[in-house]
Amino acid sequence: MKAGFPHMGDVWLPMVAILRGVGVEPVVPPPYSKKTLSLGVRYSPEGVCIPFKLTLGSMIEALDLGADVIIMAAGPGLCRFGYYAKIQERVLQEQGYKFDMVTTELFEGKFIGVSRFIKRLSGGASMATVYSAVRLGLKKIGALDDIERAVHKVRPLEAVQGTATKIFDEARHALDEASNARSVDLVKADFFRRLDAVERNPSADPLKVGVIGEFYVVLEPFSNMDVEIELGKLGVEVHRTTFVSEWTKFSLFLSMLGMTEKGKLHKAAMPYLKRDVGGDGWETVGEVAYHAGHYDGLVHLAPFTCMPEIVAKNIIPSMKEQIPLLTIICDEQMGRAGMLTRLEAFVDLLRRRRDAQRKAGALAHAAAR
Amino acid sequence: MDVFLGIDVGSVTTKCAVLDDKDNLLFSLYTRTRGQPITMVQHGLKQVTEHLPPGARVAGVGTTGSARYLAGVIAGADVVKNEITAHAVAALHYVPGVQTIMEIGGQDSKIIIIRDGVVVDFGMNTVCAAGTGSFLDQQASRLALAIEDFGPRALESQTPVRIAGRCTVFAESDMIHKQQMGHRVEDILYGLCEALVRNYLNNIALGKEILPPVVFQGGVAFNKGIVRAFEESLKTKVEVPPHHEVMGAIGAALLAKEDTQRRSASSQFKGFEVADVNYKTSSFECKSCANVCEIAQIFVGSKVVARWGGRCDMWERTSAAAK
Repeated sequence: MKAGFPHMGDVWLPMVAILRGVGVEPVVPPPYSKKTLSLGVRYSPEGVCIPFKLTLGSMIEALDLGADVIIMAAGPGLCRFGYYAKIQERVLQEQGYKFDMVTTELFEGKFIGVSRFIKRLSGGASMATVYSAVRLGLKKIGALDDIERAVHKVRPLEAVQGTATKIFDEARHALDEASNARSVDLVKADFFRRLDAVERNPSADPLKVGVIGEFYVVLEPFSNMDVEIELGKLGVEVHRTTFVSEWTKFSLFLSMLGMTEKGKLHKAAMPYLKRDVGGDGWETVGEVAYHAGHYDGLVHLAPFTCMPEIVAKNIIPSMKEQIPLLTIICDEQMGRAGMLTRLEAFVDLLRRRRDAQRKAGALAHAAAR
Repeated sequence: MDVFLGIDVGSVTTKCAVLDDKDNLLFSLYTRTRGQPITMVQHGLKQVTEHLPPGARVAGVGTTGSARYLAGVIAGADVVKNEITAHAVAALHYVPGVQTIMEIGGQDSKIIIIRDGVVVDFGMNTVCAAGTGSFLDQQASRLALAIEDFGPRALESQTPVRIAGRCTVFAESDMIHKQQMGHRVEDILYGLCEALVRNYLNNIALGKEILPPVVFQGGVAFNKGIVRAFEESLKTKVEVPPHHEVMGAIGAALLAKEDTQRRSASSQFKGFEVADVNYKTSSFECKSCANVCEIAQIFVGSKVVARWGGRCDMWERTSAAAK
């Protein structure tokens, strides 16, 4: 059996570790490219969101590499993403592909359910083997996410642009090679050291911007045109709550105590939205309320035609927490030049706004003395 | 005397502005880009040399507009800025208390919200050119009307007709329908002005608080019909500043001055000789990965002066290294 899956950010890293760990051969499709997108668009309904089109294209590329099983997230309690696996299975079968679609309710966060699913997939691996494979997979993505958080801090400071991004790419590769928990720890420590050693631009004065919105377009740089790298180039320290390792943690007992990031966001959203509206609409409203006082601005990413994000977008202007916010609609029709112009203008706005605030602060300080 | 040069290369028009060290406008130029941004920048520079006072020295250059990077390479810009910032800086210079800037150009339109002299929010049209200068241009020529006569003629309207404004395709067929029914040209023209304003306020300006003073700039602000339609719809005075059509270029010049003075560095300006340099452009598909990006390159002779267009910065880096 050869198991393939569509890309979403760095989900491939824990997936490969888990599949290898239980003795299933993983098929990793090539990174997203224009080719993936055109494959996806060709077989997709026009009005469907970009995650559908990209994942479909990625599945086709995995099948063409010989995968006979496709793993895809699915399940109720989401937005229409919950039904995508079923539709994509039909679309691909109509194109003559022979394969089994295996869906996981990973998003539901049932740790035990996921383990059972992997056991079923492996066809007879012991529960202990499954458990240690999942442990290693989660450890790898946890390490990569920690490194990424550090990369976000280094990008606006680096003397030579692109250094941190290059190190980050190498970290992915090194973590993929790591075969046990101890080597994951070593790789992580090594890359933290390398990021610390990156030559800094002494005059850098980074702005803090939160990246929020629908999880797929937030996590997949191809779908958001590398918005985080571009922000880094413009001298912005990116902050984000959505990480792959965050939503795997969701299942653990902390969420029952309301101590996860998600729990905090829901609480912050309460004055404006009291319930889940599918997708990440609730979290988006919560992030605006929760971060308004801490960041210079927010970049809100939403797929074109995404209902939950449209709901959130319409709530935001009426909130009492005010923070500059730029919404970017992610779609295959989106032009890179238009996005960069908006990002530049937004960062200019934030910088001039902060300068004015600092000046006012200095004046008030002088007056008080 | 030190002067500062601003160049704004938009999709439809190319604008140049020269300011003296007291921010007075010495010279401005407004021409059509005609799909040849390099030639028009060179043409603009030529015009500038002919109109500069004797003894003037270019102490800073700023570029803006959709071809700002290209213009920046040609002229040797100290600042390459997006249109939002450039327009805001210029409007604040002429109308210090401004709270709302509406700008409608050839192929895009924007709204900029300013509070206490700082930009706090902005919007740009995203997917369609309905309600921008190009469409007005096209409709004027369909009615065999010079674009300059559009505004005055629209103001003659007594009973404007309602034109569908959401999309240029619908607007055009609706206009033809109204014209074939026998409605007067001026009523159709003013109806179109109202449709454009409705479209602007319902899309770009949606959810934005439009407070006075409201400044209207960009090429379309020439059109008196649009100005009146805005005033009627917003129920407030809409101010069209002097030199509204070259505000982007003025903003770029002001930013260049700010930048060179802050860095106390000399200008990167390549001199007016570049007007006579023979630039060549070409493009190719990069085959290094499956993205197959289209890379555009600009040559002087056989030397590459700039490359861009990739998803990664591979080609930009190689051209920077070649310099």
